[in-house]
Amino acid sequence: MQRIYITARLNGVNLQFDEAAFARLESYLAEAGRALDGNPDRAEILADLEQAIADQCRERMRADQVAVTLRHLEPALEEIGPVQVPGTDSPSPQPARETPRRLEQVSEGALISGVCLGLARYINVDVTLLRVIAVLLLFLSGGGVTVVYVVLMFLLPYAPAEAGAPPIGKIPAKSREFVEFVRAKLSVATN
Amino acid sequence: MLAEAKLAPIRKGLLEFLVLKIVGANSVYVPDILRRLAGTEFATQEGTLYPLLSKLRREDLVNYQWQESDAGPPRKYYRLTQAGQAQLSALDEYWNRINRTVSEIGH
Repeated sequence: MQRIYITARLNGVNLQFDEAAFARLESYLAEAGRALDGNPDRAEILADLEQAIADQCRERMRADQVAVTLRHLEPALEEIGPVQVPGTDSPSPQPARETPRRLEQVSEGALISGVCLGLARYINVDVTLLRVIAVLLLFLSGGGVTVVYVVLMFLLPYAPAEAGAPPIGKIPAKSREFVEFVRAKLSVATN
Repeated sequence: MLAEAKLAPIRKGLLEFLVLKIVGANSVYVPDILRRLAGTEFATQEGTLYPLLSKLRREDLVNYQWQESDAGPPRKYYRLTQAGQAQLSALDEYWNRINRTVSEIGH
């Protein structure tokens, strides 16, 4: 087997990277590029940084090493540091992180209690597909899946209503009322 | 413990002044500046310095010249422009004034 390296051209300097180091290099430069968005000297600063990375990596490589690995690149990037633009506070703005989705049931637009709808959102598939699977499972399991559904109905929290969501249907409203009634009873009993 | 959150903006504000001072003393390239600041309260990194230098250049306070190096590609050597020199002496004077004020007040 032959190991394949990737050649990166850093401000005119060709340097070989192994795959992991190349990916890290790309992500550093992408983040630096984002931090410099709108800066009139963006291209020049990026070229300066590429040059610095190339210099730092070569300084850390032994003569017999042909490619930059994370062992060279990580300390090099550590020394160069994240791009900080004067006049801004954060060290390079992070893209807003989406709050990780919780597994919940969704009353708005639900057929029974919204378990399928919540699950579909959670795993990002079409809800109709999930409902079809659920009905198939209902026959295949001889009704066993109903138990799973009811358990989930009582366990899963209700998703907060989103803006522009459809109204809650009669059955989901009733089931939610019932679930919340039982939960309230349970919490009184346990306290 | 001293509130680091209060000290950080002071250092940040002074970094530009110090970089002007370093560039004003000598024609330097970036590793020279980093070395001069390393070990001080103002130790900084390329990721901070390049954007700062490019801002100073846009404000016409510094400029650079390419110089060949024995090892590797040519390097950018930075120096102050006339406007940069004027600003440095103004900053120097201002610094001395507030320094005096700070040490006099409260005594």
